[in-house]
Amino acid sequence: MKIAVVQFPGTNCEHETLVAARSAGLSGEIFRWNRPAEELSDFDGYIIPGGFSYQDRLRAGAIASKEPVMEALREEAELGKPIIGICNGFQILVESGLLPGLDGVNVALAQNVMVSKGEIVRRGFYCAWTTLRHESPPKRCSGSFLLEKGDLIRMPLAHAEGNLVTADERLMDRLNEENQVVFRYCSEQGEVDDEFPVNINGSLENIAGICNPEGNVLGMMPHPERSSFAFQLPPTDARKCVGDMGAAGPGRRVFESMKRYIEVRR
Amino acid sequence: MKIIGLNDQEVEAALRSAGLGLSVSEARSIAEVLGRDPTVPELFNYDTMWSEHCSYKSSRATLNEFLHTTGPNVVQGPEEDAGIVAIDDEWCVVIAHESHNHPSQILPNEGAATGIGGIVRDVNCMGAKVVATADPLRFGDPYGEDKNHVRWVAEGVVDGIWQYGNALGVPIIAGDVVFDDSFDTNCLVNVVAIGVVKRGEIIKSRAPAGAGEKGYDVIVIGKPTDSSGFGGVTFASEELREEDEEANRGAIQIPDPFLKNVLFKANEALFQLTRQEGITIGFKDLGGGGFTCASSEMGASAGYGMDLDLDKLHKASENLPPEVVACAETQERFMLICPPELTPRVLEIYNEDWDLPNVYEGARASVVGKVTTNGRYITRYRGKVTCDVSIEHLTKGIRYAREERPRKTSLSEPVITAPDDLTDALLKVLASPNVSSREHIYRYYDTEVQGNSVIRPGEADAGLIAPVRGEKFGIALSVDANPFYGRISPYWAGATAVAEAMRNVAAIGAYPATLTDCLNFGNPEKPEAFWEFRECVKGLADAAKALWLKGYEDTPVPIVSGNVSFYNESPDGTVDPSPIIACVGLIDDVRDAVTMNLKKAGDSIYLIGPRFDELGGSEYYRTVYGVTGKNVPEVRFELERNMIYAVIDSIARKLVVSTHDISNGGLGATAAEMALAGKGDLGMELALDSAGSDLSADRLVFSESSGFLLECKEEAEEELEKLLKGYGLDIMCLGKVAESPELVMTHKGKTVLRMDLETAKKAWTGGLAEAMR
Repeated sequence: MKIAVVQFPGTNCEHETLVAARSAGLSGEIFRWNRPAEELSDFDGYIIPGGFSYQDRLRAGAIASKEPVMEALREEAELGKPIIGICNGFQILVESGLLPGLDGVNVALAQNVMVSKGEIVRRGFYCAWTTLRHESPPKRCSGSFLLEKGDLIRMPLAHAEGNLVTADERLMDRLNEENQVVFRYCSEQGEVDDEFPVNINGSLENIAGICNPEGNVLGMMPHPERSSFAFQLPPTDARKCVGDMGAAGPGRRVFESMKRYIEVRR
Repeated sequence: MKIIGLNDQEVEAALRSAGLGLSVSEARSIAEVLGRDPTVPELFNYDTMWSEHCSYKSSRATLNEFLHTTGPNVVQGPEEDAGIVAIDDEWCVVIAHESHNHPSQILPNEGAATGIGGIVRDVNCMGAKVVATADPLRFGDPYGEDKNHVRWVAEGVVDGIWQYGNALGVPIIAGDVVFDDSFDTNCLVNVVAIGVVKRGEIIKSRAPAGAGEKGYDVIVIGKPTDSSGFGGVTFASEELREEDEEANRGAIQIPDPFLKNVLFKANEALFQLTRQEGITIGFKDLGGGGFTCASSEMGASAGYGMDLDLDKLHKASENLPPEVVACAETQERFMLICPPELTPRVLEIYNEDWDLPNVYEGARASVVGKVTTNGRYITRYRGKVTCDVSIEHLTKGIRYAREERPRKTSLSEPVITAPDDLTDALLKVLASPNVSSREHIYRYYDTEVQGNSVIRPGEADAGLIAPVRGEKFGIALSVDANPFYGRISPYWAGATAVAEAMRNVAAIGAYPATLTDCLNFGNPEKPEAFWEFRECVKGLADAAKALWLKGYEDTPVPIVSGNVSFYNESPDGTVDPSPIIACVGLIDDVRDAVTMNLKKAGDSIYLIGPRFDELGGSEYYRTVYGVTGKNVPEVRFELERNMIYAVIDSIARKLVVSTHDISNGGLGATAAEMALAGKGDLGMELALDSAGSDLSADRLVFSESSGFLLECKEEAEEELEKLLKGYGLDIMCLGKVAESPELVMTHKGKTVLRMDLETAKKAWTGGLAEAMR
């Protein structure tokens, strides 16, 4: 099972993402943006990692979404292959219309606005650990294929624009009805509270990750590759120093899910 | 330019109107050596290479006199762009440390960003992967006369750091921030970068052996040269005057982390190619002094000359004068020296594989000339020779013997009446912008990128990364310097900065492997500033010498990299002496490291380090009483060494589960921070009578004498006490971790402090955000 970690100018998480995918039993390579796009069809799945592709010019992800490799990825997505976009990768998938995948570009990942008790307490870039609650049924989505509904997984986020907004009043209902909301930000105990710091970036309904209607394309702001090894966990987490340097962290479930999804599809 | 035959006033006028910083006697000596009038480009080349920034003309003699730069673990001392020490037989850590003070005061965002941009190039060009940065910052008084400007600078600097570092993809794992009115018109922005490289894969920033004889190619890689940063090193070597601000803006470079991100990946492809082919190259970043500095130093350090054609260099505009092309400090550029047979593949890597011309307009790799054996530094432009000088004369610089004179101060110890209850005083100290939680800043920093972070800012006294996947070893990093101590005693400021930086890495269980020093002072032409500089260097050198490298008796901790930043002065005054020290610590297995948050109710709390009447420059004196005082903390070298190594050993033997060093705010702040760093549900009950001193309660709580608090694992008390005694340390068990979220301290049968952690948290987390609002 070979995956491509797609690299744009300005991407900066490709190496640790590939390491995390390999730790889950996937094989793969980093795919530079200016390679012939048709070579992408040789792969079984795709990850668009985090970073600042094209310097976030215009809007985060806007330029990369127009690259030939994204047109190729759209074709692969239509074949049902899994694509996971993390952080800037999520932004690129939104800008390309692959997410939420409902005809055109109808959501945006806007600047973070942290609100508590009716006051804006902070804006912009924020890096911290958070907890995600898995919202969709099992096997609904490629990147959470192995997770049960209600499972909690911890991982860090680090972005300035991850605040999911939409101008379409009916969109949230559609996403909820179709089980396209995959992850929400919640407290360590699993409660979804729309106040900062639980709603860490101001996203509508605490949304941290969504998938397309078919479930093969997932976009998420937090970084599972930074939580794929136990040693990466915060010191207050009892799992941090258990096992060896290869011991799994909670984020590895995302890559293991992707692997299982590819296996099942075959 | 005519110099020979003119009188001093005429030469002075000619130099100034050309925008040169050279003195008349310097210009005359150049003409004398050349035996003719120098050209304008030649004078700019000398101006650059003989600036304080490039030549260390005031500081070199003092640094050579005192600093220990060698040691059993040193692979590369300070003579290259970055220093290198061994981690094990295979891996090495690379470190560089610089200042970017003047640019950050004028244009905070761009100044700080290009500071990060420059320091990561210094590490990368050694063939290393850059794995972490740290940023020691000094700003003015956020509540003083210049508060609005101070806050504008502080905010801009933090923005510049995160916007560059996050986009580049290097985690920021350490740093410190101090607010002090001596920085009102001269902020300090220091930057530290570390990298990892295999011992056999280090690349030198000089022309390789045989380069002159075989006519190796000189290649410039990266952004097209423009006029940005022209005069940067000269600007860094003068006092800041408000009326020059407009003119100085042009001397500030323009950052581009996006291009740097792509360049680093292309560089990695180049390094891989040279390793595969077994070819030795020379590689250097273009930083201060631009093209002239990089090319002349790469040739001269190998004993070769250079013949360079500026027409072949890719430029943003064809209308630039030759001295601007040569001396501009356009960012995101490197210089490569390689055998001609490698050149086509180098050009392919940068110009096609990584597609620089399409990633950034005008960026590429261009062959600009050859290494020669004739010892001349020759540049050509538009068909003419614009510079032809001895490369050795250009690069060896000049030396000045500066005068020194102790600065007169009239500081004294205050007479104070301490309240019976110290709770309010501790809350004030915790809310001080200099003690409060740094969270407001570090949440802007991507501390997680690369996925190697083990201990992040806010979790312990030092950051820790596991930089090589598959390996267990970790690199710890901390930075330190206290300007308030510097104001009282530059010598002890130097010594305490070294001791505290070492304590910080020891507090997580890492042993200090190397130090770097970035020495920030006023105008060295003023004897008091030069005296402060020398005192600091003496103090830090004495401490590095006396604290020893672990495992080696009487062997100093080596100082492998550093930087001197003078002229941090304006007509309003000079900065408090600031010898900022970074310490790299190493630990065999990152999973053995400990953090500072309390772990378990019932565990015993031990104090290491007796309290002395040392509150000069303390947070308590300044925040509660508004005075500086005089009794600055001293470093008792033997005691300090025993404390540091006892703590490292007690962590290695798994006797302690949390540690925190005692510094700003004293024992009181240290205890509070241990309780607040975790979930805030565990407190402490401490009896100060066990601190083994007859000092009053407030002095015990707030003295900044060095030391640690340790949380001992249950039932390991006996073994810990035995270990401490073995190091000749007093046993001071102050109390226990308590189940209630409260910090309680008793003294002579009375409760002198009772603070609930909820209240403490509000004070502690709000202080910095409020100061930067």
